[in-house]
Order: sequence, then C-alpha cells, then structure tokens
Amino acid sequence: MAENKRRWGFVIEVKRCIDCKACMVACKVENAVPHDKHRNWIGRIGPTGTFPTLGMKFEPGNCMHCDNPPCERVCPTGATYRREDGIVLVEYDKCIGCRYCMQACPYDARFVHTEGYIDKCTFCVHRLDAGQPPACVETCVGGSRHFGDLNDPTSEVSKLLATRDHYVVYEEAGTGPKIFYIS
Amino acid sequence: MGDHEIQVGDTFHWDVSRRQFLAMSAAAVGTLAVGAIPFTQNSNAKPVRAQNSHTPPTKFDREVYTLCEQCVWRCGLRAKVVNGKVYKLDGNANHPHSNGMLCPRGQAGIASLYDPDRLQFPMVRGGDRGSGIWKRVTWKEALDYVAGKLQAIKQNFGAEAMVFSSTHNLSQVQFENLLRAYGSPNYGTQRSLCFNGMIIANLLTFGMQEPGRDYSGVKYIIYSGRNLAEAISNSETQDLIAAIDRGVRVVLLDPRFTKTASKATEWLPIKPGTDLAFYLAMLHVLITEGLYDKEFVKEHTKGFDDVAKAVKPYTPEWAASKCEIPAATIRRIAREFALASPHAFIHPGWRTSNFVNQFQAERTMGIINAISGNWNQPGGFSAGAGEEGGGLGAIPQPPYPRASALRLDGVPWKYPLVPLEIGVYQEMRDAILEGKPYPARGWFVHRQNPVASLPERKKTLQAFSKLDFIVTVDTTMNDTAWFSDVVLPEATYLERYDPLALVGDGVFIRQPVVPALGESKSALWIFKELGTRLGLQDYFQYKDEEDYIRQQLKPLGISLEELKAKGHYRPPTKSEAHAELKFNTPSGKIELYSDSLAKNNFAPVPVWQEPPAPPADQFYLLTGKVAQHTQFGTQNNKLLHELFPENVVWIHTKPAAERGIKNGDWVYVESAAGKIKIKAYVTEAIRPDCTYTTPGFGHLSKGNRVSYAQGASDSEIHLTYTDPASGGQALSQTFVKVYKA
Repeated sequence: MAENKRRWGFVIEVKRCIDCKACMVACKVENAVPHDKHRNWIGRIGPTGTFPTLGMKFEPGNCMHCDNPPCERVCPTGATYRREDGIVLVEYDKCIGCRYCMQACPYDARFVHTEGYIDKCTFCVHRLDAGQPPACVETCVGGSRHFGDLNDPTSEVSKLLATRDHYVVYEEAGTGPKIFYIS
Repeated sequence: MGDHEIQVGDTFHWDVSRRQFLAMSAAAVGTLAVGAIPFTQNSNAKPVRAQNSHTPPTKFDREVYTLCEQCVWRCGLRAKVVNGKVYKLDGNANHPHSNGMLCPRGQAGIASLYDPDRLQFPMVRGGDRGSGIWKRVTWKEALDYVAGKLQAIKQNFGAEAMVFSSTHNLSQVQFENLLRAYGSPNYGTQRSLCFNGMIIANLLTFGMQEPGRDYSGVKYIIYSGRNLAEAISNSETQDLIAAIDRGVRVVLLDPRFTKTASKATEWLPIKPGTDLAFYLAMLHVLITEGLYDKEFVKEHTKGFDDVAKAVKPYTPEWAASKCEIPAATIRRIAREFALASPHAFIHPGWRTSNFVNQFQAERTMGIINAISGNWNQPGGFSAGAGEEGGGLGAIPQPPYPRASALRLDGVPWKYPLVPLEIGVYQEMRDAILEGKPYPARGWFVHRQNPVASLPERKKTLQAFSKLDFIVTVDTTMNDTAWFSDVVLPEATYLERYDPLALVGDGVFIRQPVVPALGESKSALWIFKELGTRLGLQDYFQYKDEEDYIRQQLKPLGISLEELKAKGHYRPPTKSEAHAELKFNTPSGKIELYSDSLAKNNFAPVPVWQEPPAPPADQFYLLTGKVAQHTQFGTQNNKLLHELFPENVVWIHTKPAAERGIKNGDWVYVESAAGKIKIKAYVTEAIRPDCTYTTPGFGHLSKGNRVSYAQGASDSEIHLTYTDPASGGQALSQTFVKVYKA
C-alpha cells in the first residue's frame, strides 16, 4: 500500500450544511466521546442583518490535521505526532494532560478527556484503515462534508478544490490546515 | 443482564431523583428498604468501548440491516454489534430514505435503546394517577388485568366506551386490528394534529393523500412553512440541499427565518395565516395572464372555469394587503413559476400555515400545481411512492363487527369529509368531558402520548379524570404513561420485529439487532396476547413475529432468512406504461371544482377565509421542529438532550425591548389556556408580531429523568381550534402575551 503518498483532508461545502448536527452525534458514538465533549462542531454565523434582510451560515469543523501543527511542536512528551499521511494523533498513554497543545491550537479542536488525556478528532483513522470514510462524513445529510486524498487528483476532494473557490481558517497562522472550505 | 432490584409484586416510587421502595412484596414485609436503590437493571447497558479504550472497534460481532424509528420517515440503517451490544448505527446505502446517511436523531438511536429510564416490565398503578407509585406485575397479570377491564367495559357500556389512539408506526395495523375486532369506532392518531388540512385537500383534489415530489429535474420550488433543514425528512432534505446546490430557485413563505430560510433563494416573512391570500393571488395571475397548461387543464382537470371566476377578485394588490408581501413580488413569483413549469412545484407541506384556512390554502396550492401541468414531469408532482399493498401476503382474519355508535370525535357526523381512519383526535376530549353522545370509560394508548401531543394539556388531564381505565403501551414512561393505570413495556425498534415496510418498489424489514431489554415485548406480541384473551384470536392468526413476516413474504418468493441478511428485497419490476393519467376522484380527474365539497356546504372552489389576528398587546404563537428532536418522544435521549436540552421562546428585538426583555431572561408566555415560564431568545429572525417555541418540552413525567421539567410545554398554552372541513387543528391561532417573569 502506498500509504506514505497519501495526504488526507476534508473539503467542507458551507452552503450545504444545515446545522443538523448528525456529524456531532455520529462522531460521539463512533469514538465514544464522553458526555458534554465533542470532537467536532458546527460554527454558526448569524443571523446577521436586521429583519427582514437576514443571513446565516454554518461552518462545520474538527481538528484540521495541519501540515504544520502547533500542537505537535509544543507537546513536551511527544504524545502528539503527525503520521506520514498527514493525520495528527495523540498517543494517549504518553499524554500527561498538560494542555499546552490546547493553548497552541488556534481552532480549539482539543479537549481534556474524562480520563485525563487530551483528545481530539482522529479523522476516524480506524475507519480509514477499514476502508470507510470518517463517521461524520458518511452521515452528512446535507452532503457538506467530503473526505479524501488530497494527493490524488482523481479524488472527490481534489476535484472540488480544483474547480471551486475555497478558503482555510486562520491562514495567517501558517498552520497549513487540511480542512478546506467552499463557501 | 440480571440484578433486577425491583421484583414482581414490589410497589415502588418511580421518581426523578431516586427510585425508592415504598413497600416490599408481601413476602418481605418489614424489611422496608431505605435510601436510594439504583434502578437501572443493566448498569453496564451503555454503548461499549473497544477493549483498548483508545481505539474504537473495527470488527463487529455482526452488522444487522434494519429500520430507524426515531421519526416516521423510517430510514434504512446498519447496526453494528460489539460484545452483544449495539455500538453504532450507520445509514443503509440501499434504502431510498437514508441513502447511507442518518440524521442526528437516527445517529442517537442507541441512547434511546440503552436509556436507563426505559420501561422494562409491566406495571400497574400503586397510588393515585401521576403519583409515581407503581407495582411491578408479571406479563400474565398485566394482560389478564387489561383484557378483563376491556371486556368489562364492553359488556357494561359497549365497545364504543373505549377510546384508542396511536401514532403512525409499522405495527399500527395490528393495533387497528385489535380495536376494530373489539368493536370501538373511537380512534385517534397524530394526523389531525399535523396534516389533516393537507391530506384531505389532496384527497379531494387529486384522490390521494400526499402526491410525491420529484426533485431530479426541478427548477423552481415554493414551500409554505415546510422547514426541511430542521424538520428533517432525510431523503427529501438531501434532495432539497442538492437542488439548492444546483441553483434551483427556492421560495419559502415563513414568518420565521428558519435554517431552511437561510438556504432559500428568497425568504418571504409572510403574515401568519395568510398563505391562502398569497396563493389565491398567484392563481389569479396565472389565469388572467394565461400562464397555465391549457392542454393539461382540458384533459385532466375539472372545473377550471369555476376557479377562474372565483379568483377574479384576488389580485396581487388585494393579497398584499392581507399577507404583507408586495404585489410586485407575488406577480413576479407567479410568472417565474409559470416559466419553470412543468419542472416546478408548490410543496404541499405538513402543517403549512396551521390556521383553519389551511385547507383552502392547500386546495389552492394543489390547483396551481395542477393547472401548471406539473404532473408526472421531471421536477413535478406524481402519484409518488406509496406504502400500501405491494403484493405482500395478508394475514387471514374474519370481517370486523359493525361499530355503529356515533364517534366521539364527530367523524363523520360533524366532519363529513374526514376519513374514518384519520379522525379528529383533538375533539374527543370535549365529548369525554361532557359525556355526550355517551360517556367514555377507558383509553388505550399505543405510542401516542395525548398528554403531550394534544393542545390544552389541562383539558386532556381533565378528560383522563373522567375515565375508569387508562392503559399505555410504550417504550418509556412518557407523560401519558405517567398518568395511566397500566403501563406495558414495548421493545424499541432495535429489539423487535414489525410488519414489513414498503418503499417504492422495495420491501424492507425491521428486525431485532439485540434481544429486548428486560421484559419488553413487540407490539405484535402484545396485541396478539390481548386479542387472544378477548376471544379475538381469529383476528391474530400468526404464531409469532417471524410467522407474521413469513406470511407477508409468501407471495414474493423470498425467505425471511434471505430478507434478514440483506435487509431489503426488490421484486422484479413490472413494466408499467404511464399512458393514462387517472385520478381516484369521483370524476377521475383532478378536481379543481369539488362536488364533494359543494355537497357538504364547503366552498367547492378556493375562497378567501379571513384568519383571526391577535389583539395589539399579543403575539401569534408559532411552533415547529428542530433537527435534534422528534415531537415529544426524544427529549429523554441523552445524546440529543446534550445538543438541544430545552426550548426557548423567540421574540423579535423590538417588542422585546419594549417589554424590557433581554436575551436569556425568564418570561411568561400566556394564552387563554394557561401560561408557561420559559427563557427568551431575542432575535431579528422572526416577525415582530410573532413568537415561536419548539414543541415537546416541559414534560410532567418524573419517570424520564433527563427530560423532566426541561423547558416548557407548548401543549399547556395551545388552544384547540379545528377546521370543520379537514378536521385539522389550527395551532397558530393561539395568541399569547409575553412578559418578564
């Protein structure tokens, strides 16, 4: 398998998100995330304007699995690491729960698990290994969330990026996030 | 499983904070338990984590194809089982309602399955109704008791003294079988609380309850209040979002800026109750400007000239004064719609405006679709994918006895146009309270929940007080179960069989993924057991659930085992020519003019009906769904509660400021029926003359510890208004005062 050539990433079509939060429940159940914690979210912008000229949009998110992850740099134990395929993970047994990574992450993607370690989205790496997309992507009712290999020009995500305007969040931070948004 | 702390014969208090024994069984008198006793029978009955707690499982004991029941849309799903417990639910890609995706409610199904508050054994009341004091009994005791009560009521007062109610579900046919074999005409369902206006209008116009919509080639859609982004019907929500992405023009009439409004091309904050004016004017424009399909009108409709004459006065200028949408906008939309037709439709919605005049609005919407020729065209209306028939085998049974007593809901003697199986549920209570035309004695509830679902909650509880006997079959101790005399625990949708489901050309199965918790049983089993005890065994000629489904499958030539393995079966398709359009109406055509309406002294062609409006110091009260909950049934689901724990009342910034109400303040919302205390959400996203709240909160049952007293009940303040034509209730005709608490 040519895993090392892969570069996993998300493309999210903001216009298609209906803020139903199926992704949040799917992730929570799939990954047994503790009560009151979530690995992913839906940001709401709005309602903006005044009646009756109003706007509202929804921006789903999760760990951006940055190419240049600040969380990894500040981790004193090396618990946070970046795989060859670009997925950023926490080795839970090495994590001492110091929360530096939470401070460093501009996306607020990390939280303290009830068991003491720092937790976050894994891109459902266990599902990828079984040939399935992340749970949040599979269930996305609006078809807003897309996942795939950014290095494969024939992948759905690459095609979307090739043909549609897109942006990343906090580009200026230089983190190289791998969630790309199509507005 | 095991460690059942409460034994058969124990009387105990089923309370929100503790479940405490009040008295032990006769054998154990004198050893009164003190302090909290953990109730949960399966303390580890929650979703399992993989053995390595950091890595979710990738191997499963089994994956089972079955059907969701977190709402009535019934999506196909795949349930993954680990160590004997359901770990995760995924959408079934082979089911046309899910297409591989589940909504938040579907994803959260395991929290309903493993809800520690679930009913797990039969109980009879051990104290006053609503006291929370129950006695655990065996199934035999419970069934004998219920059958004895039903038999006594029938012998002493006639079968009509028993009222039955249920909500749309796959086993409903056997509930209806039970009540019809028993002989009661008194039956109510959720339909009249929801969409009677829509289905009766469509029956009279098209001869079908709800025409299908084709999104594949659609270019223009108008919705009236239908909020598909939040009131999710999974596949149709997917269709809408895909359509918007393709650039389809979507116009939404809604007094509130919903999430669907934020996606629509054009949101028109229409004045509540005036959708009819908007559509009458649209119809006026289409006809006066000749923007309709003359060929289709001639071939397939009846009464065009009468309609043309009737809508003459309804100019866009007239409508603008009613609905507060500019005349130019109405005229433009009518022309755009005509240009896009036949690849266009006005969606029939569910509750639409939720006023008594909704029926006329629905008729007008249907007529616009019809004269535009939007039938059997890519992107139009069609006969749709029905749920009936489908070549399934029928379970043999004798004919039903004739139930000749007048119905308590007034069908058909007060509501001549409402079909018997649909009814006018909300009207039964007055008859129960007045004892006219005869006194009711008992109420049998299956998966309804009238205490939460009907308007005027106080009236429902008063009606209960007139009854000698109330029995509820459900999965949780909901508000109606809480006030019942007997509660029978039904297995959840992940633990039981139901009769087969038909969708389009496919047959789908709901089958147990895991064994039922505790002593909960399928509805098929419960109704057969009751029927047998009532001497009605000939109406229940199936040995068990599997035998029932085998009889259904017989004509199809597929075994139960094959169906279970795949979850669905598509019989070879017969090639059907669509040459002839025939409608199941008296004339066989689409009835723009309806003789049935004329005969019953209703307007046979659309006519303006002025809706009531609130006094100056009051507001319209709007209600509508959110994506995370289904009516009143999911609030105790921990995963969903976490996302949407309580409802709030929306109020526009300006009237809020005038009343000194700030975002998050506690306010009272008061109608003629009662008042509720609730938090305010101050927003620009609603008309200044409206308030909105999410229904299904403010539960009374202390048995549901997550949802008890969370938020406030819309049923407490909603008034009962019923449309005399369709029997549909008109919730938005409730007007409220809002003031700081």
